[in-house]
Amino acid sequence: MTLQQQIRANRFRSTIVILGFVVLLLLLAGLIGLALDTSLAIVALAVAAIYGVFGVVNSRRLIAGITQAQAVGPDELRPLRRLVENVSIGAGLPVTPELRVVEDEAPNAFAAGLRPTSSYIGVTTGLLRAMPKRELEAVLAHEVSHIRNRDTYLMTMATVFAGVIALVGDIGFRSIAYGGRRRGGGALVAILAIVGLVLAPYAALLLRMSLSRRREFLADAGAAEILSDAEAMALALRRLELDPTTVRYSNSSTAHLWVESPTERVDSLKTGVIEFSSFFNTHPPTRARIAALEEAGGFRLPDRLALDAPFAVELGLA
Amino acid sequence: MLWLWVLLGVLALLVVLAAFGYNRLVRLRNEADTGWANIDVQLQRRTDLIPNLVEAVRGYAAHERAVFDEVTRARAALQQASAPGAAGDANDALTAALGRLFAVAEAYPELKASENFLRLQEDLTDTEDKISAARRYYNSTVMHYNTAIQSIPWVLVAKPLGFRAKEFFSAAGDTAVPQVSLAPSA
Repeated sequence: MTLQQQIRANRFRSTIVILGFVVLLLLLAGLIGLALDTSLAIVALAVAAIYGVFGVVNSRRLIAGITQAQAVGPDELRPLRRLVENVSIGAGLPVTPELRVVEDEAPNAFAAGLRPTSSYIGVTTGLLRAMPKRELEAVLAHEVSHIRNRDTYLMTMATVFAGVIALVGDIGFRSIAYGGRRRGGGALVAILAIVGLVLAPYAALLLRMSLSRRREFLADAGAAEILSDAEAMALALRRLELDPTTVRYSNSSTAHLWVESPTERVDSLKTGVIEFSSFFNTHPPTRARIAALEEAGGFRLPDRLALDAPFAVELGLA
Repeated sequence: MLWLWVLLGVLALLVVLAAFGYNRLVRLRNEADTGWANIDVQLQRRTDLIPNLVEAVRGYAAHERAVFDEVTRARAALQQASAPGAAGDANDALTAALGRLFAVAEAYPELKASENFLRLQEDLTDTEDKISAARRYYNSTVMHYNTAIQSIPWVLVAKPLGFRAKEFFSAAGDTAVPQVSLAPSA
């Protein structure tokens, strides 16, 4: 499969997922209407639409806000900016994505933006302090691949939609909890509605995350192709895997934006759904990703990582 | 009358397929052209930096005329090379000449410490990195494009339609694009 075919398949899947969200939303509104009140369902849908439009329009700022990503001045971190430029030239992006930095000790990176021309890449200071140049370049190439594959578009939409579903579910749930006017039809409908309202946010989450898992493999392969260096990506993943820290600001609604799942070790999200936990991981296990790269590149990672100087030294941050 | 409809249906299908295939070739060709434009921008930037660099070194080492001439000649050759293959060779020759220029600069500590020289050296290194990034992208688009127009059925009609194979932007030992499987194996 060529990259173009992959991008097209990705776009097709995106459409399906967006339609799935719309169906889920309508079902949810239907449940609210059935169990509680038709006008409440209409209000919920209206709120959802407003929230959705607002979310998509302001997605750049919202995601930057949640992740605490700071814009970098034009003369700061020039070597890092150059790496981003080189990687996006290698990927054939029309415009170099903007660079943002997250003050956080955990090494991680993310990409966001609806279009390749208005995207940005965020890296944590921990990433700069952990990774040598070659691996940092691979991580940046991974994020640039997400932008090129139009993953960031879908991820942004998914973030907003999951928020919308959760919001509508919340409206319904609160109405039941605070004794909204219940319609005839009895206990069965009410139970169904409660089950639906509880499950819908999880279904939304599931949809969103199943999306992101496949894409991680694709972005890894893309990074290997951009740099003609599959080993660099594998090394970077191994280093991330060995790192015990997790991103402080990770909010579950943006977890799928990151190169390494920041909530993987934060179990708050999974409480009570332990048996489903493997479905709820936004990212496939790092080990599987490394194995895929090893197979593609025809190499095996050494057991221990070399102690190369991190890129932060070159940036004067260390 | 049935066979007529079947025939029309098959024809319509062929036309649709041909249109899709043709559009794909056009897209691949445009990607390769964009890739070349990316390289061209960086080559231009590189040739623009060189006169300043030569002047900076000349200020400290005026008598090293042979090296300056070599760099100037290599730069002119790169400016004249228009085909990707020739430009690639000229670019390599320029890299070699610049290597000698920097070797000369090594002997002049004041030059090596000068702000201007350091800045130029940094910019040149950056441009070289960008050229090699742009080369990887260009070469991979060329490979896809060439493969497409050399495959059946397009190999039969590509030439009359104006799709000609493109040259790689060669650099020693870096023309092969590694094939990375895009299908997740897990």
